[in-house]
Amino acid sequence: MWVVRRIGVAFVLVWIVASIVFLAIRMVPGDPAEIMLSQGGVSPDAAIIAELRDQLGLEKSIWVQYRDSMRGMLKGDLGVSLTDQASVARQVFTRLPRTLELIGFAALFSVLFGVPLGVLAALRRGGWLDRVVMALSGLSLAVPVFVVGTLLVLVVAQWLEWLPAGGYTPLARDPARHFAQMVMPALTIASSLAPVLLSMTRASVIDVITRDHVRTARAKGASPPRVVLRHVLRNALMPVVTVLALHLGTLLGGTVLVEYVFNYPGLSGLLVDSVNARDYPMVQGVVLVISVLFVALNLAMDLIYGVLDPRVRRA
Amino acid sequence: MRRISTLPVVAVGLIAFVALVVPWLGLPDPVQIDVPHRLSGPSWDHWLGRDEVGRDILSRLLWGARSSLTVALFSAVIACLVGTTLGVLGGFLGGLVDLATIRLADIVLCFPPLLLALLVVTLLGPGASTLIPVIALVYMPGFVRVAYAGVLGVRHLEYVEAQRALGVGSARIMLRTVLPNISGPVMVQFSLAMASAVVLESGLSFLGLGVVPPAPSWGLMIGAARSTMAQTPLPLLWPCIALTITVLSMNALCDAVRSAVDPHGAVPRRLRWLLPPLPSGLSLAAKGASLAVRDLEVAIDAKDAEVRPVRGVSWEVAPGETLAIVGESGSGKSLSGLAVLGLLPLVARPAAGAALFEGRDLLRLDEPALRHLRGADIAMVFQDPMSSLNPVHRIGTQITEAILVHRSVSRRRAWQEAVELLAKVGIPDAARRARSFPHELSGGMRQRAMIAMAIANRPKLLIADEPTTALDVTIQAQVLELLAGLKAEEGMGVVFITHALPVVAEIADRVMVMYAGEVVEQGPVAEIFARPLHPYTAALLRSAPPEDGSLPQAIPGTVPLPQHLPPGCAFAPRCAHRQAACEATHPALEDVGPDRVTRCLRWRDMSATAQTQQVTA
Repeated sequence: MWVVRRIGVAFVLVWIVASIVFLAIRMVPGDPAEIMLSQGGVSPDAAIIAELRDQLGLEKSIWVQYRDSMRGMLKGDLGVSLTDQASVARQVFTRLPRTLELIGFAALFSVLFGVPLGVLAALRRGGWLDRVVMALSGLSLAVPVFVVGTLLVLVVAQWLEWLPAGGYTPLARDPARHFAQMVMPALTIASSLAPVLLSMTRASVIDVITRDHVRTARAKGASPPRVVLRHVLRNALMPVVTVLALHLGTLLGGTVLVEYVFNYPGLSGLLVDSVNARDYPMVQGVVLVISVLFVALNLAMDLIYGVLDPRVRRA
Repeated sequence: MRRISTLPVVAVGLIAFVALVVPWLGLPDPVQIDVPHRLSGPSWDHWLGRDEVGRDILSRLLWGARSSLTVALFSAVIACLVGTTLGVLGGFLGGLVDLATIRLADIVLCFPPLLLALLVVTLLGPGASTLIPVIALVYMPGFVRVAYAGVLGVRHLEYVEAQRALGVGSARIMLRTVLPNISGPVMVQFSLAMASAVVLESGLSFLGLGVVPPAPSWGLMIGAARSTMAQTPLPLLWPCIALTITVLSMNALCDAVRSAVDPHGAVPRRLRWLLPPLPSGLSLAAKGASLAVRDLEVAIDAKDAEVRPVRGVSWEVAPGETLAIVGESGSGKSLSGLAVLGLLPLVARPAAGAALFEGRDLLRLDEPALRHLRGADIAMVFQDPMSSLNPVHRIGTQITEAILVHRSVSRRRAWQEAVELLAKVGIPDAARRARSFPHELSGGMRQRAMIAMAIANRPKLLIADEPTTALDVTIQAQVLELLAGLKAEEGMGVVFITHALPVVAEIADRVMVMYAGEVVEQGPVAEIFARPLHPYTAALLRSAPPEDGSLPQAIPGTVPLPQHLPPGCAFAPRCAHRQAACEATHPALEDVGPDRVTRCLRWRDMSATAQTQQVTA
């Protein structure tokens, strides 16, 4: 029952998001067709405007447009790009896996750096190690990703020439180059995500370490590594996983700057290009897919929580 | 609210001041192009050199600060005003307004922030005038949430309800009571929004979707310098440094505001403190005792001074004997038990004394050595079995662990033993129960499982810290019976820490009564019950529910805190027998008979009263 309601809410959210994206484009003051064609300050030809309006379906009433658009979405048809007539859905689903892979590696790096360092900082809280780790983490959090990315390109790619400056090679064509190109963008994203996981891990471990069951574990005579790994970390990771999942959601649309810096042809890159080209159907499609994924991720998290903690289901 | 630390305030203030006075600094025109001198290095006229089209970098940097901070400030202010208003209205008025505002915020949160900004920029076109509403929109839901939660928190508080009852209008209540209450979290959110807005503005400008060229902006400068960074990295580095320092100081300010609004005490660092070794030649021998505690003191380092919640406590337990340590909350009885096993809370440490167990002083034993005793020779049962068992591991696994850390047996053998132990402590269907998680068992079952874990390695001594307090009366009796049976069977010594005297009569051989961190009376259980020689013991006995159904007599007042101990007898302020001398001199522990001590100036009078009472009874 609870599951059904939660899924229902998710569907309603997706529908609202889709409607907002649909309406947003039509709420722009003036004729979207004219705005799209007016780039460069040249007044477009009336016939071309009429053609574009017809192509966008702007001649029909707004209800008909809305109905057609929603019906299309249900069938997975997101329209065609204005710039090259390509199918929006096909474009989006070529780019999406690349962005997901990038986010996956970024999450991996973030966990590898953030969690162990967070545990160490918590165990040595107040000591010099804690201070050094927290200071570095604060610095890493403060430097915006595009600055980290640009500096990495300058130092690692241009001065040291250790890694390619950017681009994308399909895995099947050249696996080594594929992963070499993945390292810097993923590390760049991790530079902003790892500090978040680190401070969450630290806070959570400090919280759990004072709990009664940890005292019980010590009363059993369990060794410190055993206490930390089995009794502290296992219980402390829950909030860390939540934070990670939430941030992965925001990363779906948040890799824009990193993809731009490393010239990585992901979903966000497609979005920026479409924004610059005023390719409304493409923008609409990308935003919609990202929002749906975001809602789905939150839904999945809620469902997993409901399974892990029966109390959630009653809320 | 605590004071905000000054350094971040000064840093942010300095940056804001520079941004404010830029027009009057007499800097070169930030948009003046001078292509022949492009990328020239630092000079007297151009301190930081020129950029890729010959514009003065320092000037662009400082003007960039101005545009960055303007956008950040205006968007944060708008987000704060609109968001807080919506949140307060939603929280206070409820109903449709609630639904509209909170759902609106939820929907905005459905879009990743940068994505939302891009969508709006697509529609409205780039430029500073677009940036401000965009960034305001992105950070508004945070304010809505914070304000809404704050209002819900105070809405049903007595004083708000009281104002309503007095007929004060909603608007007035909101302004006068609710807003001051949520100002803390809103301030935190505001500093957060400012810092994030600077990052978002520079990011959008970097993409060419924010501040429109040629206007100066750090994001634009970084973006433009990228093309020439391999040859001349400095034009790239200056805006990077400026941006990083700004965000760093804003984050620091944000943390400072947060810790001022929501103070948490400093966290202690060490898991365990050891006493310094005893001077050589001084040895403490304990004869016939399984564990002998001598003059134990426990110290807690408070903010201004050190407090000693346990002072000069001595006790011993013989094999097969049960010692009950009795006292109200705050008497220091649990701390004395925990100190022996080095399990004191993180803030506390043993400060003096010794705890002798088989010729070794537990208070001076290093952690690895003590670890081999814990759970093996000396085991402990805790008060609340729900929180004391790890919620994410199965009962059987937790018992198995106790076996595996001390003995080298196979995992399967250990599990088998765990099941046998569960059966032994009276858990029906033990093989199936071993696979349960703690939350799937009842309170009594959980405590039985705790006891099974404690006796897994046949300890010589069991310290039970209020093992029945969290259980209801019928279960209490069962658990006591179980402990008594195990003691007889295993021949182990038991230290039973409790505040409930009736329990003591059933299980203990000897009783030690503690008050405000000190021993006030000690002796065999029958004698203590029949002839209490300390008024506190007598008062405790009277406060237990009598068996004849008459009303128990509560002890007036509370245990004094260790930092506010009276100069004389600690119990004097609550004592019915006190005299002037009691409030002036601190009584010493006196031997008052075979195996009996008491800490009362008037014990002889008490003894006489007790005898007359016995006679009249």
